[in-house]
Amino acid sequence: MSMRVLLVEDDRELRSILCESLRLEGYLVDTAASMAEAQALLKHSQTPDLVLLDLGLPDGDGEVLLQSLPAGTPALVISARQQDGVKVRLLDAGAADYLVKPFSISELLARMRAALRHRGVHLRPALTRYQQNGLVIDLAAHQVSLHGELKHLTPTEFKLLARLVRNAGQVVTHSTLLADVWGAEFTEHTHYLRLYMAQLRSKLEAVPADPHLLLTEPGVGYRLLAEAESG
Amino acid sequence: MNKDARNYSLSALAMAVLTWGCAWGLLLWLDGRVDLSSMAMLLALAATLTSLWLPMALSMLGSLLAVLAFNWTFVPPRGSFIVDGQQHALLLLALLGLSCITAVLMGRLRWQAAQAQDRARQAEQLRDFSERLRDAARPHSLASLLRDELQQFLGAPVHLMILKHGLPAQDLVSAVLLLGDEAVDADQSTGLWLCLRNGQAFGPGTGRHEELPAWYLPLRGRMASHGAALLDLTMPDSTSAAKRTHAQSLCDRMGLALERHATEQAALRAHDEAAGQATRNALLAAISHDYRTPLACIMSAASSLQDQAARLSPAQRERLVATILDEAEALSRMTDNSLQLARLDAAGVVLRRDWESVEEIVASVLRRLRQRRAHLAALAELQLRVRLEPGLPLLNCDALLLGQLLENLVDNAFKYGGDIGVEILVRCASEGAAEFVVLAVRDRGPGVDSRSRERIFEIFQRGVDSPELRPDGRERHGAGVGLAACRAIARAHGGEMRLRVRSHGGVSFECWLPKLPAPQADEANGGAQ
Repeated sequence: MSMRVLLVEDDRELRSILCESLRLEGYLVDTAASMAEAQALLKHSQTPDLVLLDLGLPDGDGEVLLQSLPAGTPALVISARQQDGVKVRLLDAGAADYLVKPFSISELLARMRAALRHRGVHLRPALTRYQQNGLVIDLAAHQVSLHGELKHLTPTEFKLLARLVRNAGQVVTHSTLLADVWGAEFTEHTHYLRLYMAQLRSKLEAVPADPHLLLTEPGVGYRLLAEAESG
Repeated sequence: MNKDARNYSLSALAMAVLTWGCAWGLLLWLDGRVDLSSMAMLLALAATLTSLWLPMALSMLGSLLAVLAFNWTFVPPRGSFIVDGQQHALLLLALLGLSCITAVLMGRLRWQAAQAQDRARQAEQLRDFSERLRDAARPHSLASLLRDELQQFLGAPVHLMILKHGLPAQDLVSAVLLLGDEAVDADQSTGLWLCLRNGQAFGPGTGRHEELPAWYLPLRGRMASHGAALLDLTMPDSTSAAKRTHAQSLCDRMGLALERHATEQAALRAHDEAAGQATRNALLAAISHDYRTPLACIMSAASSLQDQAARLSPAQRERLVATILDEAEALSRMTDNSLQLARLDAAGVVLRRDWESVEEIVASVLRRLRQRRAHLAALAELQLRVRLEPGLPLLNCDALLLGQLLENLVDNAFKYGGDIGVEILVRCASEGAAEFVVLAVRDRGPGVDSRSRERIFEIFQRGVDSPELRPDGRERHGAGVGLAACRAIARAHGGEMRLRVRSHGGVSFECWLPKLPAPQADEANGGAQ
């Protein structure tokens, strides 16, 4: 069954290019050029599996649309660079991921695959096993191994890694990580993350200074490389 | 009248009474021992002495009484006011005349001294006020001082109206600063505005609106008035003309100061505007120049694909597509740099600072560079060395901006410094007591000539005017906005960009950031339990 994607983008050129590329990849694409159109489509046609949402719409803020999406429908936010603050807020408000304009089609497709893989995560049992580049993380067994060799992680390191595995391929914001691993009162303590990410990298990355699995999204959060990606 | 003055007049009165007492005691003792004219001389001396202390009228009255008493007591026939003989009458008249003239002269002398003292005090007040105006950053802050001085000087309530900025077309209360104990009524307000607009004083003695119970004095500058004062005249007195002159002088000092301040502000604004305009022009020139090259590449590659697609080999087509992608990337980065330049140039820009790890910033730059260059087969293998000093502190910075800074520097190094030998080096350094974290991008290229070194971080200072800068003939495109953005980013973080020539060839572009005390991380484990 092909996936249904709702593309909300007001620029005609970009919309048609994206639409064609997505159809080539086998997606069923609905397009909307405005908030009103997108809301009408959401109300009257089949619920999409994924929404691609441009923030700057002519008739309103994409943020409003994000609130009215049906539960379990991931949204991929497309933003311009100067809207960093908005980006983080939307991610914390439930957007699955974000892309900064301009972006390449391959990047978009990779983000879409990751978002779709985690679709409805709260309905289905969460991912418990992650495998990539010789790294195996078994959340159920509390075990992490690299190239077959068992790695010892401290409880905090493991919790942090497990949180990233749950959204592998997607960016997880600083405040989400801090709230889920340390507690809601620690959301400002970004320096904890710097310390523990450095420790995780030194245990799990071949070259800690040039990581290929535990990636930094500057100013936003961290991303664990998706299982299918290579990077 | 204040307490000191009352004490003074009381003691003067006491002195006068004492003098008369002594004189009379002496006269009674001398009676019969010397002749009448000698006694009259003593009386004249006493009258002169008392006129030193007493006001004119009082001392004249005293003299008259003394002469009458002298007549009663000593001039024969004694015990009556009858004067016996011409000689005695002349003596008494001369005595009276002398006393009166002395009293008048003394009174005038004292009055002149008082006038001189007043004038000196007023001059002192003016000088003091001028000095305070000169030292004040905004003369408006001294409005209440001016009001106090005027009130104290006149002993009557004073209202002040001062223009905040320029003269409004209509009489707007919002355009002025109003000072006074009570609100002015409509007539007074109209009067103040009229006085301000015409720059003319009116009220009693000015020749204009003599019937008014108050003076309206403008705060005059050289070109126009900058405010007006309303001086209530409930008790006008004989010196009001002199008082008005002094009050007007005080008001004019204020007016001049207000005018000077307004002129300074206007000059400052004009200067800021000119500087802003110059920056904008330079930015626009840099952008339009820098954007043309990648746009030309994209245009030619895309049109070639459109028109000659059938005749191109797959390899040629791929190369053209790669060119389009690469140049589009370049355009995107230039847009980012131009936007940051414009944003960071604005006053009051707020950075999204956080505690960031240098390692992570460098890693994300490496990742972006690798992604960008992935489609260019020749540059797929990034020849970039990274050296991070162990134990680097966390940086309190905007990670995206610092990433952009490093990316610009690395781009620049690859573009002009050759493809090999480029490295990123991050280390701690100190200069005197100040500690820094230095992010450096170093190359082994041809370097930058000494004339361009100073200006290389300015917008559009890329050495296009110095041909020897490019010995290999390569175009230095894009560096203008890029390096200017680097400097803007460094300065926004309280740091500075530096350019250092390396001893064995090449240059090092360095971003010096002040090292801040990093937060403690030892409780990080505790929170997770």
